[in-house]
Amino acid sequence: MKVTTVRKFYWNFEKEERWLNEMAAKGQALRHYSFVTYRFEPSRPAEWIYRIELLPDDSGKPASQEYLAFMADTGAQAVATYMRWVYFRKPSVDGPFEVFSDLDSRIAHYKRVLLMFTSLFAGLLPITIVNITNITRGEMTPVILALALPAVALLLGVEALLGTQALRVTGKIRELEVRKRLFE
Amino acid sequence: MVKSTMPAENGQGPLTETVYYVLLALHAPLHGYGVMQLVDEMSGGRVKLGAGTLYGALTTLVERGWIVPVAGAVGDRKKEYVITEVGRDVVAVELERLEELRGNGQRIAKGEPR
Repeated sequence: MKVTTVRKFYWNFEKEERWLNEMAAKGQALRHYSFVTYRFEPSRPAEWIYRIELLPDDSGKPASQEYLAFMADTGAQAVATYMRWVYFRKPSVDGPFEVFSDLDSRIAHYKRVLLMFTSLFAGLLPITIVNITNITRGEMTPVILALALPAVALLLGVEALLGTQALRVTGKIRELEVRKRLFE
Repeated sequence: MVKSTMPAENGQGPLTETVYYVLLALHAPLHGYGVMQLVDEMSGGRVKLGAGTLYGALTTLVERGWIVPVAGAVGDRKKEYVITEVGRDVVAVELERLEELRGNGQRIAKGEPR
């Protein structure tokens, strides 16, 4: 089988999921994922439907393993796990495939994703601030400054992207919570 | 008959559709996928339980004591569940509530005679 490798990085797991389903529609079925590396194998066009989920625990933990076994019993195959992320797929002949079918569980999942983004954001905040204050003090030699500036730019960039995702997911949660006032 | 004046018998609130259908499906022992299929069938294809949602519901229902895992057939690793007495009582209360909803709906929205 001819394996196609694609290097790509997504901040938005829903865009990522859409892309995987577009690839599947073209007959490229995800078989493996590790950091920024997707491996696809040829399949019949639209043979599979892909769904991405963030687990409460690391995918290797017993609780996660039990969950993945349950999912497998329902026909949802975990083609790849990466840290807490799982890439499920199910044959499209089985009909529509969603991991979550009610507002409560969809909200709970988004909250899990939100917490991940906010924790990462908060985790990077102190070093970002320390670096900025050091630079603004103006006591750095030109060489140190030349190293510190790109580092800070990178940190700020990552923080901005994490913040954007946190806001996006917060918006999704709000939307579903408004809907929940009327529906399940 | 619909007793629309009857107050709530206990503090039990409305069940979610997921919980209600899972409890109905488990009146006979079934594993997760069996629940998904039966609920799909019972609802004429309207309710398609997501496996993730179902897993959460099963976990909560076991914690509540409304369902219990049963020892499956030898060599079958798929866990089966079945409803408990408490679970049946919960369904009975819910059914009364649903009958009240339905009765009032028929009477008012569909203009049936009182």
